[in-house]
Amino acid sequence: MFHKKLKVKLKEKGKQGRIRFLCDYLEYLLRNDRTLPPDFPAFVREIMGLDDRKGYIHIRIWHQDSELVEFAEASGYEYRIDHYD
Amino acid sequence: MIDEEFLVGEALVGEEPEVAHIDLIIGPKSGAAGRAFVNALAQPRMGHTPILGVIRPNLPTKPATLIIPKVTIRSLEDAEKVFGPAQSAVAKAVADAVEEGIIPKSEAERLVAIVSVFIHPRGRDYQRIYRYNYAATKLAIRRAMQKFPCIDKVLEEKDKSMHAMIGFRINNLKHPPYLEVALDIPDWRRVEGIIRALPRSDAIIIEAGTPLIKRYGVEVVQKIHQLRPESVVVADLKTLDTGNLEARMAGDATADVIGFSGLAPLRTMEKFIEECRKVGALSLMDTLNVPDPVAVLKKLKVKPDIVELHRAIDVEQSQESEWGNISEIKRVCGGRTLVAVAGGIRVERVKEALASGADILVVGRAITCAKDVTGAARAFLKEMGVQEVDQFRVMTDF
Repeated sequence: MFHKKLKVKLKEKGKQGRIRFLCDYLEYLLRNDRTLPPDFPAFVREIMGLDDRKGYIHIRIWHQDSELVEFAEASGYEYRIDHYD
Repeated sequence: MIDEEFLVGEALVGEEPEVAHIDLIIGPKSGAAGRAFVNALAQPRMGHTPILGVIRPNLPTKPATLIIPKVTIRSLEDAEKVFGPAQSAVAKAVADAVEEGIIPKSEAERLVAIVSVFIHPRGRDYQRIYRYNYAATKLAIRRAMQKFPCIDKVLEEKDKSMHAMIGFRINNLKHPPYLEVALDIPDWRRVEGIIRALPRSDAIIIEAGTPLIKRYGVEVVQKIHQLRPESVVVADLKTLDTGNLEARMAGDATADVIGFSGLAPLRTMEKFIEECRKVGALSLMDTLNVPDPVAVLKKLKVKPDIVELHRAIDVEQSQESEWGNISEIKRVCGGRTLVAVAGGIRVERVKEALASGADILVVGRAITCAKDVTGAARAFLKEMGVQEVDQFRVMTDF
């Protein structure tokens, strides 16, 4: 199974942008009565450690309809998905 | 002639928000129905005031009928719907049931009916409220008089039916064979991708593998159920100690099947199985490294619902798989236990595994590591020849 990259443009620069992204994601999950993803603590560490690439962060996903994509769509984040398959 | 103290009928007719749902009791005045009728009329409750069914004011229907609103009446507008279209519809349906012979005319004075009606506060269309409640009441009476459904119908339908308010059915694994997709990859996002790529099928069971549970905890089961509420999810705990505690943890996390190790002490296994029954889950005994699973099963006072004949990932590359004596396992367990086979199963071995008596094929990397997860899972399902529950049934009998 090939992975894909979800490339999300942060709404603010640097660390503040990542924190806002994570807060938005958590709010999205809670407001929509979603069970928290079991990897949430690891996800937080991952996001805070990612490099900024022209304002975008690249998150590895394995499905174009993943919960992260739903979140990006619903929360008005600019994003694109690059397929590696 | 009704011999019982009362008969019970139920019917749902129409569409939201005017949908009519009737629960009904009918029986002789001299029995429980009569006592309930008198008690309800003499002791009205706020918001659920019982009223007599009248065809028009000053003309009560026969058999005498008490209408009880299920939804709390909070306004005059709510009350008008019950006292208007619902009341007259129920009364007319009862009278028509007598005219049509559903209720014997000779019984009209001897019987009473209690009809619980559902009127949604958002229902506006009196025409629809009237017609739906008329039809539902008459249907509920007919069903009560015919004692519908018979117990055989209930037993046949209980594993097929889907409740409208839930949107999925609880699958009790009564129609093997099943394909159990073992998610042993300890990476949630990848697991999520695999689950989303799996075809929707009643025959697919999703297994939260031991590595996945060890990484994220048993709560991962709940997240899988959020993605696939209709799927049976196995929590493969491989429990060796504290059987009831671990079974309860997985049950609380909504696992449908919970697995323990056949190497555990007998008392641990028995407590595990008993706890599974308490939480409404099926128990699965994993026979990994168990030299003689039949001997262990014979010693158990309570038998597991599923026995998994398991070849370890670490040894499957060097050994040919062996299914073991499946018929003997089923015999020892009283015939109701399902047998799952795991370890190195490929599409070309499906027929062989099923022919040996396996009910569940546990497949891991052949699906989860495939470039085309959907296609790989479909290939297994096709080879297994599974049919969806009620796929070819035309639902005309509501």
